[in-house]
Amino acid sequence: MVATAATSSFFPVTPSPDSSDSKKKRLGNGSINLGGIKSKTSSGNLQVKANAQAPPKINGTKVVTPPAEVCKNEDGVSFHPPRTFINQLPDWSMLLAAITTVFLAAEKQWMMLDWKPKRPDMLIDPFGIGKIVQDGLVFRQNFSIRSYEIGADQTASIETVMNHLQETALNHVGSAGLLVDGFGSTPEMCKKNLIWVVTRMQVVVDRYPTWGNVAQVDTWVSASGKNCMRRDWLVRDSKTGEVLTRASSIWVMMNKVTRRLSKMPEEVRGEIEPYFMNSEPVVAEDGRKLVKFDDSSAEFVRKGLTPRWSDLDVNQHVNNVKYIGWILESAPLPILETRELSSMTLEYRRECGRDSVLQSLTAVSDNGTDEIECQHLLRLEDGSEVMRGRTQWRPKNAKISGNVGQIPADTA
Amino acid sequence: MRKLHLIWVTARMHIEVYKYPAWRDVIEIETWCQNEGRIGTRRDWILNDVTTGEVIGRATSKWVMMNQDTRRMQKVSDDVKEEYLVFCPREPRLAFSEKNNKSLKRIAKLEDPVRYSKLGLKPRRADLDMNQHVNNVTYIGWVLESIPKEIIDTHELQAITLDYRRECQQYNVVDSLTGLELTEGSKMVSVGTNGSATATATTREDDHDCHRFLHLLRLSSDGREINRGRTEWRKKPTR
Repeated sequence: MVATAATSSFFPVTPSPDSSDSKKKRLGNGSINLGGIKSKTSSGNLQVKANAQAPPKINGTKVVTPPAEVCKNEDGVSFHPPRTFINQLPDWSMLLAAITTVFLAAEKQWMMLDWKPKRPDMLIDPFGIGKIVQDGLVFRQNFSIRSYEIGADQTASIETVMNHLQETALNHVGSAGLLVDGFGSTPEMCKKNLIWVVTRMQVVVDRYPTWGNVAQVDTWVSASGKNCMRRDWLVRDSKTGEVLTRASSIWVMMNKVTRRLSKMPEEVRGEIEPYFMNSEPVVAEDGRKLVKFDDSSAEFVRKGLTPRWSDLDVNQHVNNVKYIGWILESAPLPILETRELSSMTLEYRRECGRDSVLQSLTAVSDNGTDEIECQHLLRLEDGSEVMRGRTQWRPKNAKISGNVGQIPADTA
Repeated sequence: MRKLHLIWVTARMHIEVYKYPAWRDVIEIETWCQNEGRIGTRRDWILNDVTTGEVIGRATSKWVMMNQDTRRMQKVSDDVKEEYLVFCPREPRLAFSEKNNKSLKRIAKLEDPVRYSKLGLKPRRADLDMNQHVNNVTYIGWVLESIPKEIIDTHELQAITLDYRRECQQYNVVDSLTGLELTEGSKMVSVGTNGSATATATTREDDHDCHRFLHLLRLSSDGREINRGRTEWRKKPTR
């Protein structure tokens, strides 16, 4: 049954509507939350439309179109932002992501043989762009864990988790109609040249998802003191409801011209206050200070770290998720090989750009439990601090052997 | 294949992007594979913008079977091939027409001295995939590292072809080399800088908005080739 279904999807026949295979569920174009995206084709399923659009385009004719000035979704869908400068520079991570999706599509074809029926909630959000839930204050988006997001230990990396947090934060602001410019700035902020900068981040990972899992990310904002905003996230396994990750972050405004921190202007407060949930933080505030330390107390030092092209984001700055990669680079190998990151607390102090050269220092401490704790410092060569952090590591679970479809790791 | 300890390895990859998607765009990718020659299989892709229906990119790739123990390519019997060919279209269908043979073009090996280079690239942990090898997408990042800044800042990648020759492990160190590709019969590129890579000496080829480079990724230690490549760059469209 599976073989016939799969082969028939390659032959040049239009599948009949009453096709018995659940894999071929056609998704209606209209039944999408938030007013939807007008799409030409039915979305989200893996049918190969053999010959459906092929002939005119396989002749090697390049379809080079003039750049689209018009926002493709201007048919009244409020949450899609107009094309702004954030779309002007090709984000190198986007290029690489585009290329990796090419590889992903290959793997998806093989997974087709074991493809499970689509989950009902994914029908409502077929492109996975997320939606507002719960009285309009919480934004929810699902992410399928992609093969290229899996690290050497068969689970999604902490960078993957952090990227999901960033994406939902921006999509939340976007869907609230507040996304205008500069990657998250509201209209009033733009007028005053203000941008959001993260000052503190706390993440607790209860379980890292694996390839094929779908992570459901919920996010919301609250006030934090008079001038800051707190953003919380709760990530669950969309199939089992199990909590995967909890995170909490503090944001403050900075003038992008003077690069100085700013109090929250009343106009901006007026824009964002309606969206504050003002709940308790999802991760209890870690009150312990992150102490500074120097070379002499650091057990591991890694110098000469420079951003790659693909580390830069739209603003030509190193994206804050990359910092995490750098601290992990200098974590001791035995810890990385036998343990996984269970929680981290980060303090962002200074931005760094494309020409920065950084050093990553790590000190290990034993806090008496079976978790190992590390202190981190990322700094520039002149000693100025970019980030301080504390990470906790718990023993990894034994690897599941014999994963279907995966090539056994080469034993070096 | 598993019984015979065979795994797929990429031999060649050719990608053309006509229009880069932006954040929030939805693209649809169609992919299929078919038999190619005695030991290979070919996988093609077409990328569409779901909203406009236009083709924004195409790709083709060649894969061969390698014995994971001997690390050598291996010919297989028809039975082994048939196991997966049942899932492939029998009618040949190519993302690139046979007339468009950029995807098949031989890539020359770059020889020293090279114009641009970035030496000492080390795989990061995030570059390793599920098989603990440097994921082949990382190579593209490495190739881009040695492209001159004046091109990266003003141009976008139009096409890339990569020949994968040797795998790279976590502990290897790699050099990325880039040189200009001289098209046959074109006017002599006025380099005249005696090998120094300065910003002023750009190519003065026939179409001055399109730049072509040859690439080589090789092990720092002994110079053995990991892969070679070819890229084409066009001026970024104004938005």
